[in-house]
Amino acid sequence: MNKIQLIDTLPNVFQNRTDIVSDIWNKKVEFEKEKLYLVEANSGTGKSSLCSYIYGYRHDYQGQILFDGEDIRKYSVARWTDIRKQHFALLWQELRMFPELTAWENVEIKNKLTGHQTKEQILIWFEMLGIADKLNAKMGRISFGQQQRVALIRALCQPFDFLFVDEPISHLDDANSAIMGQIMVEEAKKQGAGIIATSIGKHIDLAYDQVFNL
Amino acid sequence: MNLVWKLLRQHISIPQFVGFFFANLVGVVIILLGVQFYNDFKALDNEDSFMKADYLIVNKKIGALSGLTGAQNTFKKDEIDELKAEPFVEHIGAFTPSSYNVRAKFNVEGFVSFSTEMFFESVPDDFVDVESDAWTYQEGSTDIPIILPKNYLDLYNFGYAQGKGLPKLSEGILGAMKLQIQIDGNGQHGDFDGRIVGFSSRLNTILVPEQFMRWANQQYAESDAAKEPTRLIVEVSNPTDDRITSFLQDHDYETDEDKLDASKTTFILRVIVSIVMVVGVVISILSFYILMLSVFLLVQKNSTKLENLLLIGYSPAKVSFPYQALTVGLNVLVLILAVVIMLMVRGVYLEMFENFFPDLEVPGIQQALIVGVILLVIVSIFNIIAVRNKVMSIWKRKE
Repeated sequence: MNKIQLIDTLPNVFQNRTDIVSDIWNKKVEFEKEKLYLVEANSGTGKSSLCSYIYGYRHDYQGQILFDGEDIRKYSVARWTDIRKQHFALLWQELRMFPELTAWENVEIKNKLTGHQTKEQILIWFEMLGIADKLNAKMGRISFGQQQRVALIRALCQPFDFLFVDEPISHLDDANSAIMGQIMVEEAKKQGAGIIATSIGKHIDLAYDQVFNL
Repeated sequence: MNLVWKLLRQHISIPQFVGFFFANLVGVVIILLGVQFYNDFKALDNEDSFMKADYLIVNKKIGALSGLTGAQNTFKKDEIDELKAEPFVEHIGAFTPSSYNVRAKFNVEGFVSFSTEMFFESVPDDFVDVESDAWTYQEGSTDIPIILPKNYLDLYNFGYAQGKGLPKLSEGILGAMKLQIQIDGNGQHGDFDGRIVGFSSRLNTILVPEQFMRWANQQYAESDAAKEPTRLIVEVSNPTDDRITSFLQDHDYETDEDKLDASKTTFILRVIVSIVMVVGVVISILSFYILMLSVFLLVQKNSTKLENLLLIGYSPAKVSFPYQALTVGLNVLVLILAVVIMLMVRGVYLEMFENFFPDLEVPGIQQALIVGVILLVIVSIFNIIAVRNKVMSIWKRKE
């Protein structure tokens, strides 16, 4: 997967609104590999919807979303499973972790599926992000900021062409945000992948190729 | 898979699954026992393999007067037609008597030897339940298949042989030996080999194939006039039908009453077994419902987890598998336990059977096993599809 294109895409709920000023909705937008994008948004402009559409989770939009020129509406269940496993990593704003499992198990459940990262690498990341002591803590028992860091590690436990991070640092301090940015960029570079980050104000300080206002 | 299972086993309700397990166990045990008991009982009933239980033999009563006046005890054509028209009659056939002299000799050198006057009768071949190639007569052949009444053997073994100190004969030994048959009539003589294909406890006559009877009557009978039958064989749809008894009484006909009772017993047993099995099926269907409801509830309670698994790249098949394995595993466990219970119960009643019928040959349990496996496969397929559909509805976010 080399290219994500949005052609006149618009959430169905915005259909009757005429006051939309956006760099993405109802425009032609392209995301390419090896590039860094920032999507800045105010609350209620459809940022989470954008994630869900590109990830094949929701389809309540008009216009088209294309992967390498192919309309993703036509994708089969098997194809989506493959994309989510091999091509597209997503860090959800609401994280979607499993509170019953430990931090380590939350990462392991993904890495077991893909076999992509070594245990050592995962432990290094836990260390770098300052949550090594939470390895065996139940996910439901640690703070949201700590959970965000575990969620990033989980997102990196797969091969990807694009990494989509939805407000990844909303609960992080600047030092941890910087480490997170560094890990993300390093990992993306290794795979020649593109990164799309969203924020509602606070964003990781990176050399973005393009900034959109949603 | 362990981590997925660790996640998905959350909210599993043990009491619900225990409830399903025992309900389904009861249902499956009833079904398997029903099948097995019916088969085993059929083996008892089929002691006489030449005649099905639903056949009655009907004759006219011979009274003191009718003997003196010489009144015929044969059935006229209109009497047969009248009987044939009765609603309880499925099929009717006449006994054809032989119109010639028959003499049988049985001789084993230095062992046993006797000869006797006798007679033959035949009934239409479709009333005789013997493999058709064992029950045929080729014109010109000297080989005649014969079915003898079991009473004859009993008379010999327990009366004659006992009194004379002669060896007793089993059905097997007699079946391997030949009777020398001499037929005289119409100025002709014929020698034949009688081959005993079996002994019947229901037919009080010496039975030969219809083909042979037709040919021999043509060949050896003094007059051409076909005799009217004195006995009829009747297949009835329901031996418990009251109309049978009242019809026979009204017309002064007789039948082998105890056989009618035996037929009634079998018929009632068949009805009871059917009812019991229907109850078993109903219990099984209800227990299947419990299982499906509790799996649906489980999927519902764990729907967020299932959705998140799907969103991090687990396929619907992988996510469905733990619940499918759980339900199929439970079904297999139920079947195994049900077969064990069935075998135990069967052991108890077979012991009782054997007190009455020491040389009883019971059928295997294959049929019950096949029924059990078919049930297992059907229920499991339903389970697998239902779980899969439920997971797909989460994928499609249709709640």
